[in-house]
Amino acid sequence: MSSRRSSRGSISDEEINELISKLQSLLPNSRRRGSSQASTTKLLKETCNYIKSLHREVDDLSDRLSDLMSTMDHNSPGAEIVRSILRS
Amino acid sequence: MARCGGDVSRHRKADLETVESLCQGLLDDVMLDDDKCRAMFGYLQEWPDLASMCHSASLLGEPPLAPEASNGSGSSGGGGGFRKRRPDSCLEAKGKSNSVCKRPRGKQQPCDPDQMAAVVGKGKTERARAGAKKKAELALPKDSPATSESTVTAGQKTDYIHVRARRGQATDSHSLAERVRRERISERMRYLQELVPGCNKVTGKAGMLDEIINYVQSLQKQVEFLSMKIAASNPVVNFNIVEDLFSRQLSQAACNPAALAAMAPPIGQAEPSCLQMSPLQQMQTPAGCPGFGLEMIVNNNLFSLAHGGSMSAAAAASVPAGASVESCLNVHGAAGWDIGSQSLFSGFDAPFQSVQSDSLLDNLKMEM
Repeated sequence: MSSRRSSRGSISDEEINELISKLQSLLPNSRRRGSSQASTTKLLKETCNYIKSLHREVDDLSDRLSDLMSTMDHNSPGAEIVRSILRS
Repeated sequence: MARCGGDVSRHRKADLETVESLCQGLLDDVMLDDDKCRAMFGYLQEWPDLASMCHSASLLGEPPLAPEASNGSGSSGGGGGFRKRRPDSCLEAKGKSNSVCKRPRGKQQPCDPDQMAAVVGKGKTERARAGAKKKAELALPKDSPATSESTVTAGQKTDYIHVRARRGQATDSHSLAERVRRERISERMRYLQELVPGCNKVTGKAGMLDEIINYVQSLQKQVEFLSMKIAASNPVVNFNIVEDLFSRQLSQAACNPAALAAMAPPIGQAEPSCLQMSPLQQMQTPAGCPGFGLEMIVNNNLFSLAHGGSMSAAAAASVPAGASVESCLNVHGAAGWDIGSQSLFSGFDAPFQSVQSDSLLDNLKMEM
């Protein structure tokens, strides 16, 4: 019974390791550092920070876009292009 | 407090049992919250001074504050073996109360495992003791004079703490380290759970990690998309972003053979700026503006011409995309214009503004 449990545990561990490395590949820092196996704790911490920075970036870009749209002349060709992109 | 202290000092041995049982009952029954713990620690940290003044028992009053009581019990029980140092006994109580606090709350607090490792690790090896010392110092930064002594109490502390720590838990250093690690990981996971929407519904680490990965990817895409939009609406300023984005787009679009065919001549002959240009226009094409497709061909032709490409190459590029011969001829007419391409494409919004191919040609003529 214990062997079965351990085997099941190892499978899920493998899955989790896979997911962890996948997550690591998504993070810009870990990619740059190139370390194969940083600690999971660190990785999760980095993920937190990365998600936060992405949130910030999205907010910032949205703000900029809305600013652009509001300041842009409605008849200008730039506005036309932006609108066509937004429609797509 | 003085009253109780007096009691304890007077009837130290007699009250020892009752105080101990009382504090145990309190600790077991009452869920100690963080504030209470902190208050206790702060209180206990002043212990050395007070201890020098009033000796051990004077502080021991206030039955509601359980750890104090346990402190009293520890120091007065020190009649047995813990008697040597007053401040030590204080710290001992501190450690005790900490590990005791931990129990009812489960492993909610990040400092708890550390503390626990510190407390139990001391009993194990010298090395573990050194680590524990460090941890104790970290945990109690305010208590600098007393911390140095805290390690001395380690040996004494172990007896009691040891018993408390092993309720169904392994106490060897590996298990402890592993437990601390798992604590940290699950703490992070909880934090991520708050950060990632929809992660609350998923149970299990694998599902959560999946969710987190998806979320990060979607955020990355969102950022890309937004910066692309901004870059497109403000092309000159964000030229670098456009380049970056469309180099990615290019690699993705490489599987589209038609686009590849249309893009081929500039890729073969032109420099990177031209390479960036083509996918940009190719991006525009599905946006529903037929003019862009035509324009793209015209531009491609221009590129090949400007970079010394043969006219046949230009025609070959234009024919599969269905550009009119007329526009080709017009471009050919502009073939003498060989340096203007730089200014046109560094300008970058010129092609944007000319939705129709003839307006583009007007532009070209103007620039000529």
